[in-house]
Amino acid sequence: MENILNELAEILEVSGVAENDKLANFECWDSLTILSIIALASENYEATLSNKEVVDAETVGGLISLIKSKC
Amino acid sequence: MTDFNPLSLCGKNILITGAASGIGRATSIILSKLGANLLLLDLNEMGLQETIAQCAAKAVGIALDLTDSQSLKEKVVSEVNSFGQLHGLAHIAGKPCMVPLKSITQKICTEIFHINTYSAIELAKIFSNRLVFAGGHGSIVLISSVYGLVGSAANIAYATSKAALHGATKSLAIELASKNIRVNCIAPGFVATNMLEKNSSLFNEEYTNTISRLHPLGLGEPEDIAYAIAFLLSDAAKWITGSILNVDGGFTAQ
Repeated sequence: MENILNELAEILEVSGVAENDKLANFECWDSLTILSIIALASENYEATLSNKEVVDAETVGGLISLIKSKC
Repeated sequence: MTDFNPLSLCGKNILITGAASGIGRATSIILSKLGANLLLLDLNEMGLQETIAQCAAKAVGIALDLTDSQSLKEKVVSEVNSFGQLHGLAHIAGKPCMVPLKSITQKICTEIFHINTYSAIELAKIFSNRLVFAGGHGSIVLISSVYGLVGSAANIAYATSKAALHGATKSLAIELASKNIRVNCIAPGFVATNMLEKNSSLFNEEYTNTISRLHPLGLGEPEDIAYAIAFLLSDAAKWITGSILNVDGGFTAQ
């Protein structure tokens, strides 16, 4: 999990992210980015997420908590 | 009344992969009703037993991982010794992969190719071996996807693995023609199966409606693909080889 902020930054196409960043505020926030996050969680953390869960997570911190809860 | 039925599969032994659910299960049931004896493969042993219970003719199940090529060959050859040599193969097992380009890795692509593509080549190799193929007229049917023909986002691993089957179909058709084995491929549109349901959770509620609208005849049913497979396995299709048959409710007609 220590690398997850960098992994999310890469998917969100920014140089860095903070836990209180709102997901919907990222320029590249769209359905493909959501799918990329679902793939990251599955591949790297064996966590199965749905589209709705990712959207409902709202922030980067919320997303990390969601992934941790599914690991 | 006449007993004329060029679609009959009576007396034919047919191997079906992915037989535990969806299109594989529907195909097993329909082929058994057409008189075929079935050797059914899938990872899901319980699903296989449920399929066998619905078959109208002899059906034997083998639970195995198709990506384990050594075990696949050993188990099929061993089972054929008691079951009887094969006349047909329907390779239906496959795995979807909805991963956008920015998350795709070689590991993901390799895994999908092992399941969707390499296993088809391995099965064709096993089927055409003299120890396994019964001789006479043989037929192999592979299952690809409309996404092997047209593009869609977040589908690069799946699409390339299925498009590769189209190349494999044509090369195998030429290579196996001298053995009287026909090789064809069906490219299905979206069929209402568990696989589609699983995909739906990756998108918003509009996903299934959007997919449905892409099909002028609406979403397919597993039986729609199964009947096309039955035709290509039957002697009614004896002059068809190397073909890609779109069974997609008009998806690719647009």
